[in-house]
Amino acid sequence: MTQLVWNGLFVGSFYTLVALGYSMVYGIIKLLNFAHGDLYMLSAFTGFAILGAFGGVPASMGLLALLAVLLVTMVASGLAGVALERIAYRPLRRAPRLSLLITAVGASFAVEYGMRAVAGADPQVYPVRLGGTAIEVFGARLTLQQLVLVGAAVALMAGLNLLVTRTREGRAMRAIALDPRTSSLMGIDVDAVISRTFFLGSALAGAAGVMAGAYYGKIDFLMGFLIGLKAFTAAVIGGIGNIPGTMLGGLLLGLLESFGTFWLGGEWRDVFTFGVLILFLTVRPTGLLGERVTERV
Amino acid sequence: MRAIPLKSIAAVAALGLLASGCGQGLLGQESGGEQHGPIVLGMLIPQSGSEASIGPYMSNAARLAVDEINAKGGVLGRKLELKTADDACDAQSATAAANKLVTEGVHVSVGGYCSGATLPTLPIFGKATIPMIIPAANSQELVDQKLEHVFMINGTGAQQAEAAQKWIAGQGGQRVALMHDNTSYSKDIALRTQSSLGAAAVTVEAVTPKESDYSANITNVLAKKPDFVYWTGYFQEGGLIVRQLRQAGYKGSIMVGDGSVSPKLAEIAGGEAAEGVYATMTQTPDTLEGAKGWIEAYKKKFNAEPGPYSNQAYDAVRLAAEAVGRAGGTDGAKVIAALEAIDGFPMFSGPLKFTPEHTLAGGGFQILVVKDGAFALQDSLS
Amino acid sequence: MGNNRVGLAGLLIALAAPFVNASPYALAVMTSTVIFVMLAAGLNIVVGYCGLLDLGYVAFFAVGAYTSGVLATRLELPLVATVPVVLVVTVIAGIVIGAPTLRLRSDYLAIVTLGFGEIIRISANNLDITGGPSGIYGIPPLTTSPVVFYYLTVAVVALAVLGAARLGRSRLGRAWRFVREDEDAAEAMGVHTYRIKLAAYIAGAVWGGLAGVLFASQLSAISPNSFTFLQSALVLMAVVLGGMGSVPGVVVGAIVISLLPEILRDLADYRFFLFGVLLIVFMLARPQGLWPARSKEPLT
Repeated sequence: MTQLVWNGLFVGSFYTLVALGYSMVYGIIKLLNFAHGDLYMLSAFTGFAILGAFGGVPASMGLLALLAVLLVTMVASGLAGVALERIAYRPLRRAPRLSLLITAVGASFAVEYGMRAVAGADPQVYPVRLGGTAIEVFGARLTLQQLVLVGAAVALMAGLNLLVTRTREGRAMRAIALDPRTSSLMGIDVDAVISRTFFLGSALAGAAGVMAGAYYGKIDFLMGFLIGLKAFTAAVIGGIGNIPGTMLGGLLLGLLESFGTFWLGGEWRDVFTFGVLILFLTVRPTGLLGERVTERV
Repeated sequence: MRAIPLKSIAAVAALGLLASGCGQGLLGQESGGEQHGPIVLGMLIPQSGSEASIGPYMSNAARLAVDEINAKGGVLGRKLELKTADDACDAQSATAAANKLVTEGVHVSVGGYCSGATLPTLPIFGKATIPMIIPAANSQELVDQKLEHVFMINGTGAQQAEAAQKWIAGQGGQRVALMHDNTSYSKDIALRTQSSLGAAAVTVEAVTPKESDYSANITNVLAKKPDFVYWTGYFQEGGLIVRQLRQAGYKGSIMVGDGSVSPKLAEIAGGEAAEGVYATMTQTPDTLEGAKGWIEAYKKKFNAEPGPYSNQAYDAVRLAAEAVGRAGGTDGAKVIAALEAIDGFPMFSGPLKFTPEHTLAGGGFQILVVKDGAFALQDSLS
Repeated sequence: MGNNRVGLAGLLIALAAPFVNASPYALAVMTSTVIFVMLAAGLNIVVGYCGLLDLGYVAFFAVGAYTSGVLATRLELPLVATVPVVLVVTVIAGIVIGAPTLRLRSDYLAIVTLGFGEIIRISANNLDITGGPSGIYGIPPLTTSPVVFYYLTVAVVALAVLGAARLGRSRLGRAWRFVREDEDAAEAMGVHTYRIKLAAYIAGAVWGGLAGVLFASQLSAISPNSFTFLQSALVLMAVVLGGMGSVPGVVVGAIVISLLPEILRDLADYRFFLFGVLLIVFMLARPQGLWPARSKEPLT
């Protein structure tokens, strides 16, 4: 039982990191950024390339080297997100909202198959692996490395939450989410804030990508698709646009999958997860922590 | 931003259609079946979508065979030509791609990987009397239709399951857990193995392919306290599952199916975890005497290792060439007759003879084991 | 209305196309394209007219294809005979999926429809009656000649597109647009928004289901892989790319989305990369869609 909970929480923390970017971007410009999962993939490959460029990293330095790579990749991924916004989303700021969906899907195709052209369709294996021996805690087997990863994820989430709730920058983001036109009248540089939001969200997805690469070991050019879908689901469960809600949503999704597999077997897991999601949303139509807002027209 | 006129887009679309065929309208049908020029082999493989990583393994190997045969002067004095087309492992793409190959005048089809995508292409090739030598796809549905132009050179699920059951029983597996990825091929092997093992099969677990974390599935499997785990899917997930089984403290035997036989499996699982993992597999260049040269040639040409179904794709091309040679031309019906008459053609999986159902008479499955990070022969099961 | 003339011209082009190129490949691609047009026309009712974001439209396509496929192979019925059953089943599917979810606002509706799409696909993959992962094969075609089938498809789809356009101009169509523009105002004016939305959903479901029958007949074999989320996204893209709510636009959008990957097929590995890039370029060049609805009201 505790094992199920731990499995769910561990997977859930990956979902959360990716979902946060989804949710932030959605919160601020109401865009379903379908290419978000592909930034996760892109970072996994970036990290892979950096580690490869430095050649053999001694096993004892593994964790430290990874941390450095993690930071570099987060920056790279953030910049990629900013570039994506500049090229594919900003010119359409005044177009119908769904037009952005097309460019997002287009960007997703371009990033995925661009990476396929560069790195090939074959999966790649990370040169540095986080393995480690398992310890038993309350009947659940977990490794130190898993704890480190979850710790890193929680730290990133906490940092983000502080940034959004306590800083001027965060206040600007929240203002734009509420009403971009008024915000710009109030002297907020809307474009710059949106850029920074993309940077933050993409950097978090980047962190998740490197962590997944280092922990699971296998990366391929389509690895972002499924997790992008999951992240979207997690963001909606939690109340899209709401940061603590998204964190809860990611963890809840991980737990749902873990228990769904246990109760119904792997083949029916997603049916269970989506079934619960649909039932939940019919009872609580705005997600866990989402607020009821009347849609602007 | 300036608007791009609609007309230009329409023109591009129209041009595309026109360019694909001149003089092929309803009123002017061209006549096919010319007996000169190159012998065209068509190959449907996934190059995009979820199974995209498999495509290159198959097309590279096929190209290797084509080049080798052409270097020796081709067949009947005609060169071989290989046309590949992306089926994306999807029925609709496969249908379009198969029709494209038919339109381009292929003489023999040597592709077919995903069973679900291959099924709708059978009538398309059948209608044009184009023989199909299917290197990988092998679900029972392909066999059940008893189509005379369809030949399968991969061992069937039934044969593989039989080999698996034999080995598991010989190893004294008492509590066997079967894991598959919910695709037709993998599920078929798992369920067949389950029924032949009877009470010894304690659980069947399906995983979702393309994910990274299988700990939930593994928790399920380990709850049944198995002493033998058999994974029937592909190496991408297989490597992760082997690794995560060991991380979760599983000490028993692990075996994988032929889709998992790739050097990448051990890489993904990480050195120690993969050691001693068994595999059910038809004969491969790795385990054949004197076939080392093949791997070297492949590596040299493509700067990559051969992977799943490389050897079957290679054999499919050689077999097609052989059949066309024996038929004395590319006439579909004659090539089919030649294929049916073949007896003892040397393939990686052993001397070839087709059953009346056009499957391999002997699957030739054997057991491999991972030693020092590579698959080596453990038992030929003969 | 210029639209009638445009529609007639489009129909003529579709009818003339086989005289230009009737190779099996061209016919297969054109037939698929026409079926895709029907899907897009159906989704346009839901998304374009009524403004309901549906990310799982392919569920109805799957329901139609599987219903007719299962009936035709298990009971050995001719495919035409399955059409009434398909109609009933898709209407039920529309109600089952729509009824609990239509009270949700757009983004939540999107994820719920996505979920339903996945549930249908995974169920088809896991159940025995649907043939499991390899699906159903040997479905008897409506007609064995690809040319005749192409013309049959064109006829059915032309009627469907015309029907969708008529619906859009009807009293119901005006109600849909009202709901799309301002649901609260519509409610206040006495429009029963829930029932109106359900009607859009059911209409979309029927269009999708009938397209499924054509699909099953064309391919003779169907498997869960044809009904993935990506397929739903592609249909939605056809609607948005063409111009939401605009019938000629949606037809053009469907043709572009469906033909583009085929035109790019010879680029092999760069095919989908270029497809993605072109989508971005198209949208940047024409943000309102290739052929937007000629309406003064802003589309949100």
